Amino acid sequence: MIGLAAPSIILMVLINAYPLGFALVQSLHGGGLLRLGNFIGFRNYLNVLTDPAFWSAAFFTLLFTVCGVFGSWLVGFGLAILLKPQFPGRNLFKVLLLLPWIVPIVVTSMSWNWLVATPRSLLPQLAETLGMGQVLFLADPTMAMVTVCLFKIWISYPFMMMMAAAALESIDSSVYEAATLDGATSRQQIRYIVLPMTARSTYISWILMTMFSVNDFATIYLLTGGGPVNATTSLIVLAYRSVFQEFLPGYGVAISFIMTIVLVTLSLLLFRQVRKTNL
Amino acid sequence: MNGKWDSMTMNRRSFLGASAAAFAASAVGRAFAAGETLTFWDMVWGTGATYTAAARDLAGRYAPADGALGVRYQSIPWANWYQTFTSAAASGTTPAVSSGAAFLPFYFLEQGVAAPADNLVATLDKEGKNDFLPGLLEAMKTDAGYAAVPWSMDLRVIWYRKSLLEKAGAEPPTDWDSYIKAGEALKKADLVGFGLAAGSTTTDAQHTVSALMINNGGGFFAPDGSLNCVTDRNIETLDFINELVRKGIIDPYAASYTSDNLAGDWKSGRVAMGFGQTGLDKTLPQEIQSDVAVIRPIKARHGDLGTVYYINPLWMFTTTPSQESSEAFLAWYLDNMHAYWTSGVAIDLPVKKSIADLPVIQDNPNLVLSVNEWQPVGKTIGAQAPHAFAALNAVDGGGASAAFVQQIIQGKTKSREILETLEASLRKVVQ
Repeated sequence: MIGLAAPSIILMVLINAYPLGFALVQSLHGGGLLRLGNFIGFRNYLNVLTDPAFWSAAFFTLLFTVCGVFGSWLVGFGLAILLKPQFPGRNLFKVLLLLPWIVPIVVTSMSWNWLVATPRSLLPQLAETLGMGQVLFLADPTMAMVTVCLFKIWISYPFMMMMAAAALESIDSSVYEAATLDGATSRQQIRYIVLPMTARSTYISWILMTMFSVNDFATIYLLTGGGPVNATTSLIVLAYRSVFQEFLPGYGVAISFIMTIVLVTLSLLLFRQVRKTNL
Repeated sequence: MNGKWDSMTMNRRSFLGASAAAFAASAVGRAFAAGETLTFWDMVWGTGATYTAAARDLAGRYAPADGALGVRYQSIPWANWYQTFTSAAASGTTPAVSSGAAFLPFYFLEQGVAAPADNLVATLDKEGKNDFLPGLLEAMKTDAGYAAVPWSMDLRVIWYRKSLLEKAGAEPPTDWDSYIKAGEALKKADLVGFGLAAGSTTTDAQHTVSALMINNGGGFFAPDGSLNCVTDRNIETLDFINELVRKGIIDPYAASYTSDNLAGDWKSGRVAMGFGQTGLDKTLPQEIQSDVAVIRPIKARHGDLGTVYYINPLWMFTTTPSQESSEAFLAWYLDNMHAYWTSGVAIDLPVKKSIADLPVIQDNPNLVLSVNEWQPVGKTIGAQAPHAFAALNAVDGGGASAAFVQQIIQGKTKSREILETLEASLRKVVQ
């Protein structure tokens, strides 16, 4: 039996373990993209952890992830509740609301660039008309962080909406009927019925969105490239730059391994929370 | 369904057999292909698809001499070009000859995967065909020999829209002070006097700031090749740019502008003046092409002239099946590439005097001014080092350079401080 499975096992090991092992080896060396260079132990890791650029990127990654997870959950969950009752055009609304998730990121990032990048773009002109003056959505570091986070929420809420809608469908209508008979208001029903009964699905969607956000390269890189002045540089963008623009693969791979360790730890904590949810 | 599935089922022995056969076929195929012809990788230059068609046609016309190998043309897109080249080099699948980004051959020569072009240069000398414009071939020389030979040049010059300057009552500038004066007049007319794109995915503003640093006798490096960003000349340059920012001559939106955003502003007439490639006019609508013109090089604070250029190289990899054939092909290619300019598919400047003297160049006053006055005062971003080197790949387009120009445009940090930050960041990548 093991013999029959051996080719597949060997293939899987070669495909998965070899690159991972090679990356680990690379992170312990000081060479470039073509040569491993000298063995330098954990110096790349130490350099990463003492580099202010790493901590700045870590801060933005945290901000981006928190906004991505909870911002998109709030919007997605809210829309799922609004779309729960039957009404004419409900399915059309659902499809339209899924568009940000369906349309390729290259197209949506270009659309957002057209919306905000130049003084003649729609939103800067609108801001000017409303008397807000010159709003530099992408050119000002703080505003760029806000814009990127809003963009992340915008492309991610459909996923949260679908997860929440599926969880809401699993609640039996008799539960709501009983609550209504007991005099529970809509707010009380959400607080004491919907949130607890969808908690398991919510935690899983948070775990997934955390992974999506931390590893999200395209959203940031296509909209701002990590600028201005590195304000929107996340860890994944920093790792990419280190490897492919600065030819420091050991340093870039070390960033990726640190990210992986943090992400795995975070996921384990959240999974523990899921197990505690007895629904 | 089951019958079909059964017939397709592969047991362990047939799987191993098929794998071995595929491996052998791939190895034989590669050896056969590699032994037959030289592979020539060429980037998508100039006018894009029409350039590629012309280049494919030109390479197809190469008839090797007896005993030399023919050539197979392969167009390479700019998207992810670093990865394309480095992964090919890491796996030993680089072509025989290639065109590419300015500093890539220096990196490959240093890593031992590119062959020096000294024999090729000697052949050109012997045949009287070494007519490269001043300083260009010298910029390719390293301690290990010539990293590459030039084939075209991305030179940065200052362009202006004649009608817009006239409308604003401004004169084309001749030095930094008159630039500010013209910029102020343009600002009053609600126009941008110094167009640039400093977003993180474009190198436009990095090239412009480098051009101004060289203009003022500065640069990122000392003559011995060591990092030397924090100099009086560079501080003066940043002070000048800061003045442009403070007076609104540089658009604050530029900090996040992409190349497309800037191109849109040139087309719409929002930008009236700024640095650009020598082929900028060709990217504009027909009706405004005659409205743009190149000005003469402007004098910096101490009267210096200067700009930045990127020499587009052709180089040879050690993976060639025949080094002599690679050299023979490149010698022929350099002798025949004038076709790109006569057919109008090249946007960058020619690097050979024999091409620069052609009517297609000489009849264009903007190109004549670029070749005669801008090119001789140009330097690479390796300035003030005498020639380029591998680490420039990480400087040009790297995160440190992007943050540097964005910080300048923010206009909130002192020039010295910005340069100190830059030098500290570059020290990480330039060892």
